[in-house]
Amino acid sequence: MCKTQKRHTFKTIPVEDAVGTVVPHDMTEIIPGKSKGPVFKRGQKITAGDVCRLQRMGKNNLYVLDLKEGQVHEDDAVFELASALAGPGVSFSNNPGEGKLELRADHQGLLKVNVDALTQFNMIDDVMCAGIHNNTPVEKGDSLGATRAIPVVIDREYLDQAVAVARENYPIFSVHTYNPLKIRVAIVGNEVFDGLIQDKFEDIVREKAEALGGIIEEVEILPDNLEIIRDKVTDYLNKDTDLIITTGGMSVDPDDVTREGIEAAGFDEVNYSSAVLPGAMFLLGYTEKTAIMGLPACGLYHRRTIFDLILPRVMAGERPGKLDLARLSHGGLCLNCKPCRYPHCSFGKA
Amino acid sequence: MEDLDTLIQGAAQAHGHLCPGQVVGVRMAMLGCELIGLDQPRELPQIKQLIVYVEMDRCATDAIAFVTGVKLGRRSLKFIDNGIMAATFVNLATGKAFRIASTEESRDLAGKYAPHIEDKRQQQLEAYKVMDLDDLFTVQEVRVDVPASDMPGPTRFKAVCQKCGAVVRDKKEVMKNNQILCRPCAFGSYFEPLSPQDNQKDTTHV
Repeated sequence: MCKTQKRHTFKTIPVEDAVGTVVPHDMTEIIPGKSKGPVFKRGQKITAGDVCRLQRMGKNNLYVLDLKEGQVHEDDAVFELASALAGPGVSFSNNPGEGKLELRADHQGLLKVNVDALTQFNMIDDVMCAGIHNNTPVEKGDSLGATRAIPVVIDREYLDQAVAVARENYPIFSVHTYNPLKIRVAIVGNEVFDGLIQDKFEDIVREKAEALGGIIEEVEILPDNLEIIRDKVTDYLNKDTDLIITTGGMSVDPDDVTREGIEAAGFDEVNYSSAVLPGAMFLLGYTEKTAIMGLPACGLYHRRTIFDLILPRVMAGERPGKLDLARLSHGGLCLNCKPCRYPHCSFGKA
Repeated sequence: MEDLDTLIQGAAQAHGHLCPGQVVGVRMAMLGCELIGLDQPRELPQIKQLIVYVEMDRCATDAIAFVTGVKLGRRSLKFIDNGIMAATFVNLATGKAFRIASTEESRDLAGKYAPHIEDKRQQQLEAYKVMDLDDLFTVQEVRVDVPASDMPGPTRFKAVCQKCGAVVRDKKEVMKNNQILCRPCAFGSYFEPLSPQDNQKDTTHV
């Protein structure tokens, strides 16, 4: 089914006769490979010197916009659209450019997009909104999406329909703040416990967790011993801990007993394995007040793993379960790009 | 715009005393307005075209507000708590914006500009009136994309805190643990509510 658009008929004037009139809407000049941007802004008075430039842009006629009741200029319409789409943590400029407004992150956090509602919004005639993926970790000022009315003048009826969809499903775009979780870490491995090699995992975990506002309360190096791992995890659970992170010992070798140690400590829910590479042998579990993540050793080598996909969600207060881990399969393959551009890539974008 | 002396006098009166900060603030505001093409910032229509971001809550801030007419309650004065003697002047109509920062060297140069005055404070005050703008300030042309929710005018955005019920204006609400919250509920606040027992303790001290 294709969108059917009512085309408004407005009076036009040849550009050569337009000197002294005002530009009815932002007009874009595209110089291939060099630039694209509004060179004439709405309300700007057209001078004799502008006529040639307009003609070079392929504009031989200009609209004379005489808005009737029930018709809304694109610059006014886009404010209503952005206001309805932008939830908490999402702001937008006061100056539309070429009829568009960009939605931006007000602060660091996890972007949540109501994808079904966004689709529904885009099913309304004469409006559009494009966004980045749901569950993307974002920083202050990051671009999250952009919206606009398609025609220069939109019918109030369509605009109201689009705004209603956004309001009924509010918020379609929101940035969730991270909680300053208290985190305790267990680095597991005979090789590090015995001092044969130096641990590198602590720095990786610390950097990623602290970047999102996590607080590393304690780090301990443990041998591959089920009882010792169980007791340490239990000790962490008995303390004021929001998140326990274990590293190593998650694989299939006989020495790998971290998973068993975690399970023996007693959790209400434990999910082992994820449909993500790197990170297939990841563990994610919960008690009522504490989450636990078991990181496989791939995190030592790969810059981005399942940990980068799940940590922001847990920091934002979510409790992803088995279904969420399975859903990551679509987009769950890291392409190991050099240089890494995560999160601006397909990794983890289900 | 009025002359420097008149503006300094007015700023001192509005602020409560005359100090070097008043002089710096007045000159910063005069320069800022000039750079963005406003000569009557306190009057219509220019009063609607100006937003000033100040980066300190010190004497100079009041002088800037006096010269330009910007006010916190009109949303034309924005306080960014950087602790830096700097302000950015934005012309909303043209998009022109300049950030002006007071130089630290200007303090040392006060002696050069007013060698006849011994009292340090008085010396700074007089020196700042005549100091070259290049010595007094660093100036940077900048772009400030003012968010729609920070604009002056009627309240356009309201949310209700799902924890305490407070109405939060201008998109200052936050989403935390899937709840729309006011900032005090989400992050804590500068105040601590007193319990009835605390009140009783206070009374016993009287």
